[in-house]
Amino acid sequence: MNPILGYLKVVWQILRKEVLIEWRGRQGIPVMLVFALMIVFLFNFALQLSPDLQAGLAAGLLWVSLAFASTLGLNRSINLERENNALDGLLMVPVDRSAIFFGKALGNFLFTTLVGLCLLPVFSLLYQQNMLQFPLLLVLILGLGAYTSLGTLLSALSIQARTRDILLPVLLYPLALPVLIAAVEASQGVLSGGTLGDVDHWIYLLLAGFLLFTASGLLFFETILEE
Amino acid sequence: MFKKPQLLVALDILCLVTFPAAVVLILFFTPVEAVMGPVQKVFYFHMSAAWVGMLSFIIAAVAGGAYLVTRRIKWDWLSIAAIEVGLVFAVIAILSGMIWARPIWNTWWVWDPRLTTTAIMVMIYFAYFILRSGLNTPETQARLGAVYAILAVATVPLTFFSIRLFRTIHPVVIATGGGGSAFNMSPRMLNALFVSLFVFTLLLADLVWHRFRLAQLQQDADQEVY
Repeated sequence: MNPILGYLKVVWQILRKEVLIEWRGRQGIPVMLVFALMIVFLFNFALQLSPDLQAGLAAGLLWVSLAFASTLGLNRSINLERENNALDGLLMVPVDRSAIFFGKALGNFLFTTLVGLCLLPVFSLLYQQNMLQFPLLLVLILGLGAYTSLGTLLSALSIQARTRDILLPVLLYPLALPVLIAAVEASQGVLSGGTLGDVDHWIYLLLAGFLLFTASGLLFFETILEE
Repeated sequence: MFKKPQLLVALDILCLVTFPAAVVLILFFTPVEAVMGPVQKVFYFHMSAAWVGMLSFIIAAVAGGAYLVTRRIKWDWLSIAAIEVGLVFAVIAILSGMIWARPIWNTWWVWDPRLTTTAIMVMIYFAYFILRSGLNTPETQARLGAVYAILAVATVPLTFFSIRLFRTIHPVVIATGGGGSAFNMSPRMLNALFVSLFVFTLLLADLVWHRFRLAQLQQDADQEVY
């Protein structure tokens, strides 16, 4: 069989497995969503925010809640592979291990984006501004693509340490900071009435982050998982 | 193995002579800046520490890459030595910057992009040690440490690009047009800066070498036990 086709098939099978587990268990997305909403409410009390929030604060709140919530999903996704040594089975697939990375990263991206899509109408209601706009969706997809790509890579790293779950946020947040800054700035620009052209340099930064983290996954996933 | 290399002894002596000399040069033989006064002299140490910190993080990433290719543990020793020493210098850069900022900006800390991203950089490398301490064998420590050191350096340009997009109040010494307030240095100031940069680089080489030897001795000691 064509090696590229075989590779893509493995990626697809892993993604399919992730979606099936989520569909049957329904334990990832709901937990992330409830956690993200909890953060929003906590911030409201802690910072005494008003409903007519400025665009900047709303964008910041959206990304902070998404960044926190997606660590839950990332940890869960990699922990599933640890149970019953499922990872050993995956590693036996006769294909470059970056295929596992792409399958899992796509799964994480899909789930986190769904959570983000659920949050947008809630934010629109709570903070009285229309967040269901196409440019913001684009920023959301790009930002989460870069973020979950790095997150998947680092979760494979942190799973091998004794401190496992608690290690991932410590590694992920500082490294993902440029992407988060760009995402917040781009969202803020779009929400305060700008077009995508006004925030193009932030979009480029998001793209650069996405490419960098995806290339790192392609390069290093094999090295990280070798026994 | 246990004997200290003669070149290292020579480097030690060189650092012991040149570092105090640089301090004397900066304190007594550089002009006092017209607006800021004597506190501007912190700048020589500040910029040197920042430069040395950045340099050592790059060395650590290169050594990490060399480890992944060759799988020789010596490269890992160099990588961890560079990160450990670099982290100290990065913290010195932040602290000396704060000392300067107190009279000039009238506050110890501002949430300026340049300061914030430097602090984040320190946290990134602090997490490196948290990662390593959670791993069991020297081999995994070296392998995952190398991957992390490369990832960390790869995000630094992103971070620095992102702050160029903000307006910063941090002085831009190596000006590339726009942003911040550049200040012009007299030739004597510039000379002192170069001396300071050179002496700090020597000090970095010396300390990294010592830390490298420590890792070597540590391994020898471990092997004696087993």
